Amino acid sequence: MQHVPDLISIFFPPWKNWSFFWDLTVSGLTRGSIYALIALGYSMVYGILKLLNFAHGDVYMIGAFLGWFMLQWLGGPSDPFISGWFVVACMLLFAMLGCGVLGVGIERFAYRRLRDAPRIAPLISALGVSIILQSSAQILFGTGFRNYQTETLVGFSIHNVGDVFFSTVQLVTVLLAGALMVALTLFVARTRVGKAMRATSFDREAASMMGIDVDRVISVTFFIGSALAGAAGVMFGLVFGQIYNLMGFLAGLKGFTAAVIGGIGSIPGAMLGGIVLGLAESYATGYLPQGSTFHDLYVFLLLIIVLIVRPSGLLGTPAIQKV
Amino acid sequence: MKKLLVAVAALVGVAVAASVGSAGTARTAASSASAVTCGSSRTIGFLVPATGPAASIGQQQVRWAKFVVNQWNKTHKTAKIVISQQDTQLGAANGSAQALAGAQALKSNSKVLAVVGAAGSNENKGIRQTLKGAGFGWVTGSATADELTTTEAGTRGYFFRAVPPDSQQGTTVANLMIDKLKVSKVYIIDDEEAYSTGLADTVEAKLKAAGKSVTRDGVSQQESDFSALVAKIDRSTNVIYIPWQLSPKAAAFVSQLKQAGKGSIAVMGSDGLYADDFAAAGNPPTIYDSMFPVSPGQADVKAYEKAHGGNGDFFGAPTGVATQVVVQAIDRACKDGKATRAEVRAQIAKTNIPKSILGFTIKFTKNGELSGGKFGLYKSNGKIFLPISL
Repeated sequence: MQHVPDLISIFFPPWKNWSFFWDLTVSGLTRGSIYALIALGYSMVYGILKLLNFAHGDVYMIGAFLGWFMLQWLGGPSDPFISGWFVVACMLLFAMLGCGVLGVGIERFAYRRLRDAPRIAPLISALGVSIILQSSAQILFGTGFRNYQTETLVGFSIHNVGDVFFSTVQLVTVLLAGALMVALTLFVARTRVGKAMRATSFDREAASMMGIDVDRVISVTFFIGSALAGAAGVMFGLVFGQIYNLMGFLAGLKGFTAAVIGGIGSIPGAMLGGIVLGLAESYATGYLPQGSTFHDLYVFLLLIIVLIVRPSGLLGTPAIQKV
Repeated sequence: MKKLLVAVAALVGVAVAASVGSAGTARTAASSASAVTCGSSRTIGFLVPATGPAASIGQQQVRWAKFVVNQWNKTHKTAKIVISQQDTQLGAANGSAQALAGAQALKSNSKVLAVVGAAGSNENKGIRQTLKGAGFGWVTGSATADELTTTEAGTRGYFFRAVPPDSQQGTTVANLMIDKLKVSKVYIIDDEEAYSTGLADTVEAKLKAAGKSVTRDGVSQQESDFSALVAKIDRSTNVIYIPWQLSPKAAAFVSQLKQAGKGSIAVMGSDGLYADDFAAAGNPPTIYDSMFPVSPGQADVKAYEKAHGGNGDFFGAPTGVATQVVVQAIDRACKDGKATRAEVRAQIAKTNIPKSILGFTIKFTKNGELSGGKFGLYKSNGKIFLPISL
């Protein structure tokens, strides 16, 4: 026990007090909320098609750009035609709608004909779509960074509850992500389309024989998953300030990781995975040696440990093999 | 018998290795010595991050290089310059390999007489054997790592730069913090590239020598989410020093600093961040920057701004100077109608541009450093950087 004070001094040196812990927690929850929204798209598509849609991260990038264009159309951050928060709402709606349509188009164009092909074919097709989206963004939007100028648009009001400091934008991001996730859960649990999605996920052929329009269900799944990615893209731009054409790759990887940690195919799992990943990254950055540089190393070590202990993820159910 | 065979094999191996080595040397000499007919067009190589994470600064370099070449071509109809551009994708995962591939492409193009670039210090380390092997003289407009011009680098007479080195910039920055800002606690965050770590090392050493409290950290240029890093910065810190290369990243960092309620901490950047978006991110916080002193009143700078919608693209200005150096060296080497890479190299070393856009005479030392180069200090007024003095 004599080593306990030493360990405390390593992880909580004098200036790393509870305020520091809460700063990291706020940061982790904010980024975790964004990861969770991306992870939901991965998880929903995997749940229904058993497809790893690697273009999903780039849909998120397109969403961030759609939000930026809407911001410009509404007069820009310094002189918008309507109030700042209403502009944010319009940006979110436009990005969600645009990405939803894009997702449906991607499914129709790149995946539908490959549904019965060997599983490697749609995977390669997904990688191809990812590269097409990245390159198209470079051609259309250029390689430069775009800034949402959130401070100019809605301000950075800083609040504190005891030692917990957070901005309005961070609070809105976490609450909005939570609201979208709850809405999705209710949609899947309580609507006819949601029921059809669950049935299709359980057994596509049987669902089809029961009169469910599987094509429509898959299109709806892609629409919702992509719309959530679009919302995540706008939230990222609002919180972290900048967007660019290559931002989708790493975010997609993190979203996929979050989905795997939570249990790919599980909607609550995707949410939990996102939050866990965001917090783990944040704490790794803050507490572990050279965390700013090697947080990804620590996080992926965590991923490996989680998968060794629970191969199907935190909330995933083990696949039952019929013999 | 077995021993004899091993001995013979070893001898053959040594002989083959020696012949390969001498052939390499011979090839170097040949590529350097083979003369190109100058004719009405002369080719320069250009290694630049035209795409990838550093494309925003790379495009500034592209625009300045093209501007200088276009101006030259307008007045030299019979001795036009052609740019052979290779993308290095600085900062991308495959950036180093891409830079090397670009250098090899230039090496194999017999028309290329000299090279402008590469942009990054790490890139220059990776390609120097290839460029030297090809006999090129090359001039960078942004690689500032001190070790690029040391004797150990082995590129004396080949490598030149139109920017002062990190040690000079680092000393200027440290002096500002110690003498003018009277700091006691500084947080230094490098971007894990040679350019940035070199500068951070210099400033850290000088501050520590002056008895200041310094915390050192690093973050990849691929990151956009700095919130956890910001959480690590103590609220009683006086200055955060970020010698990075991508101004939009720095602007995002400042934005996240403000969101965390730490907008009262001053932020200091380096030449890579001398851009309006970084300047506009501040006030608060107070933002400082160090930069080679581009001369705004100079006719070429004004002409550039006029041609680019009022945008000076100042980070690219030294690349404009590097292009000017190479173009003029080729012109001098081509006086007899033919030129070799070695002749151009020798002419680069003899450069003397009295009124450069950097505001001082461009001459090189034997190591390839700018003779008399210096850094200026700037402070943001919330929109642009304005010069300050120590």
